Amino acid sequence: MNLILRFIKFIRFCLFSSLILVSLVSLCGMFLIFFVAKDLPKLPSPLSRIIERPQTRIFASNGQVLISLGERKTIPLNMVSQDFINAILATEDHRFFEHHGMNKLRTLKGLYITLFKTGKVQGASTITQQLAKNLFFSFEKTYQRKFKELLVALQIEASNTKQEILHAYINQIYFGAGAQGIEKASRVFFGKPAQDLSLAEAALLAGLPKSPTNYNPYRHLDLALKRRELVLKRMAQVGFISDLEAAQAMMIKPALHHAQTDSRTGSYFLDAVINDLILKYGEDVVYHGGIKVFATIDTRLQSYARQSLKKGLERLDTMMGIARETADHLQGALVAIDTGSGAVKALVGGRNYYKSEFNRAIKSLRQSGSSFKPFLYYAAFKSLGFHPGTIMTDKPVIIPVKGSADWEPENFSKTFSGDMILKKALINSVNTIAAQIVEKIEPESVTRIARVCGIKSPLQDVYSVALGTSSVTPFEMASAYTVFANLGIKHEPFLFWRVEDAFGRIIFEHIVQKKRVLDPAITYQVVDMMKSVIDTGSGRSIRHLGFNRPAAGKTGTTDSYNDAWFTGFTPTLCTSVWTGFDKKKKLLDANKVGITGGKGAAPIWADFMTNALKSEPDRDFPIPDDIRFETVDTTTGCNPKEDDESFEVLKVPLKPEQQLCVEGEL
Amino acid sequence: MIRQWYEPLSFSEWLRRTFSFLNIAVFIITATFIFSEFRFDWFENLVGSYLVSTNESRPETGAIWETGKQTSNAHEYLNEIISKKEDVRQNVHQAATFFDLASGILPGEWVTLEKQRFRTLYLTLEKSVALKIIESAQLVWLLNGTSLDRIFCEGVTGGIKIYFIDSENRVIKQIDLSREDILEIENSEKPVPGELSDMEGFSGRIYPAQNFFDAMFKLPADIIPDLIVNPESLLKQDGKIINIGIWNETENGYIKLGFEFEEPGGKQVVFIKGREWAVWQLSLNLKGDEN
Repeated sequence: MNLILRFIKFIRFCLFSSLILVSLVSLCGMFLIFFVAKDLPKLPSPLSRIIERPQTRIFASNGQVLISLGERKTIPLNMVSQDFINAILATEDHRFFEHHGMNKLRTLKGLYITLFKTGKVQGASTITQQLAKNLFFSFEKTYQRKFKELLVALQIEASNTKQEILHAYINQIYFGAGAQGIEKASRVFFGKPAQDLSLAEAALLAGLPKSPTNYNPYRHLDLALKRRELVLKRMAQVGFISDLEAAQAMMIKPALHHAQTDSRTGSYFLDAVINDLILKYGEDVVYHGGIKVFATIDTRLQSYARQSLKKGLERLDTMMGIARETADHLQGALVAIDTGSGAVKALVGGRNYYKSEFNRAIKSLRQSGSSFKPFLYYAAFKSLGFHPGTIMTDKPVIIPVKGSADWEPENFSKTFSGDMILKKALINSVNTIAAQIVEKIEPESVTRIARVCGIKSPLQDVYSVALGTSSVTPFEMASAYTVFANLGIKHEPFLFWRVEDAFGRIIFEHIVQKKRVLDPAITYQVVDMMKSVIDTGSGRSIRHLGFNRPAAGKTGTTDSYNDAWFTGFTPTLCTSVWTGFDKKKKLLDANKVGITGGKGAAPIWADFMTNALKSEPDRDFPIPDDIRFETVDTTTGCNPKEDDESFEVLKVPLKPEQQLCVEGEL
Repeated sequence: MIRQWYEPLSFSEWLRRTFSFLNIAVFIITATFIFSEFRFDWFENLVGSYLVSTNESRPETGAIWETGKQTSNAHEYLNEIISKKEDVRQNVHQAATFFDLASGILPGEWVTLEKQRFRTLYLTLEKSVALKIIESAQLVWLLNGTSLDRIFCEGVTGGIKIYFIDSENRVIKQIDLSREDILEIENSEKPVPGELSDMEGFSGRIYPAQNFFDAMFKLPADIIPDLIVNPESLLKQDGKIINIGIWNETENGYIKLGFEFEEPGGKQVVFIKGREWAVWQLSLNLKGDEN
């Protein structure tokens, strides 16, 4: 009897306690709702408004869209494969059409597991809750955030149809690889519209939102496929497909589209354009302003630039005996500028953007070696009245330096050739003669010329600047050499022609201004010497590779073979190529012989320029009116004797007042 | 009436009390409450509807609103740029004189001008002043003989730059006008209070009006129009000319002449320009008269 009484007492206690508890919980809940509700975010109306965001588009010079920033393609539900809708419902919330924002049983189960099973966390978010979280909340895991998310989900459910909610969800969900929304995801991963997704593809995509990074099929295909298996099993369990269909879909290996592998731009040029735009207008305008940017890049030339650099670096890998798998890859950069305007036509900042985003074309400061000598020769011609036929002596040189050890520059060949005209000295890149010149004109004269040509990096006023010991970027070198190509006229290099707002109103326009910075006749004399560098000098590999157009340029190799350069130009296009390692490491071939600019960078230049100019007619550099040509003996600097054929002769351009047989030893 | 609660004394009383009407009613109501919620989700609907009713008063916070704000910031900034540009464009289009055009563009601002507009403004200038901007023959060549697409005016510190550009945005011709040039254009026709003898540039070349005109009328008739190219500013004056000065420098083939007027309010100088060779001829006559 007592036992029965006790049991009845217990039942009664439980009943009343539950009642009180439920009442208390309800009261607290109501209080909490009223308390929290006032801080909840406001919901936009209609819900589809949340997906609208203007895209910033960057166009190439031929009008092709290079990139759309902040792109989110919204499509109606009937334009999405039913398999995908089923897959996402089965995976994320199979009772989506039954609940009103919260799956109570799943929530209670999740709450029980999270609270009472140590170390386990069970999620129970419905699609509506996920939408609320994605739209309004951070990814911080707190009970308060979960509660607010739940309340917003209830409001979304109360003010929208299930179709509207599902539409908003699939159009804003993030799939990784820069793809937001199902249409973009479908195009990024499979290169097709969302309505054409097969069951296998749809299931793969439906598995990604859980962890876009970990399941990124480009990086972790095995994990993505396991996740797809789970999605397919779930679809079969829920009844969207049969077990056989699930098994068949599991057997299909997805054919991934390889146009874009993540959210990055995939282009050094675009990175440079975006950085420039951000500096000019700020991030909000660039990423949210819906502006249209008309870039200078020529997609054809850009493609050639990428291919030439890739091919050239692979050739160097072979020459150097570098294994394909090595982590420490040889790097390179190429910049091509239209000499007539300063427009950057092609820019490649490294070997593989996805392995290293560091833009070597613009940011990598490297010693330019002998590529700097044209500035030196121009300065010497200008300030000392020297000309290409002036005689100097290639001999051991010791230059005293105040407060430091004497400077004893050496030639690459480690030999000395005696008297020679300056044209030959540049053709053979003779360092001792360059050193004697810089001693006469002072380093400041050289750096001043480099500056007016467009070198903006810090340059040291030291004697060795003549041999290119100051660090510059390939972008600067290409830009500075365009001044030589234009016979002394400078155009500022630029990356975009025009910026418009979303309504097509112009907010920026680049005006091509020319400024004469160098004397045309003297510049022509230097250009003539640089032409011979390609024809017979350190850049002659270019002619051996079949590039026969009139062109001028200069190789550059640093003392330690850390950098190999070639910067050269035709009258219309100026290109600078750099090759080297990111770390301090020598460019040595398999026989441990140093790789020079002529061997390393010039073939890349030749390959690129051959392709880039193939549809253009040959054009030579215009000769200024006051220039006359004289044939000189390279060792005497005088006209050769008529009957003597034993000496090497070169044609040199001279100004009216300039005479032959002039010695440069002052 | 106070009823003392006591513990049921028998099992039947326990049962009776447990399954009393009140208890059963409370139980049924609670159970209905809970099960109806599971069945009809009325609680979610209720809370959802309440939140819908408070929606307008709640803050625009959260990731999506932040993005929205960034978008509106961007649009605001862009609209600011556009409206500034539009203001400049309006100023330039309403400009009646070249001075209005030049002073309507501040440093950092720019505007594109149609060829016709530039031509109209240029034609409002006195010939000798127009030369300060561009030779008329060169302008004819630019406007009618080149691939000129439009004229781009940019405000810079200390003046404006005018670019004549082709359809590829290449500058065909650039003109830099300093603020002083612009002021000179503005004041070219205005009389300056003062005397010629106070102006250094005329020193040693100031002649009494009678001598000047005597010498002038000795010149062949076809030279005189080149000596006083734009007589309008002189004809506008009511006073009497007492002295005339010849400037010591030439500019674009012209020499400045200063006409000193005696007016009721004091002396004033009006500047005009004469062609260099005509002024030179006049100078010979003036020197001859002196000798």
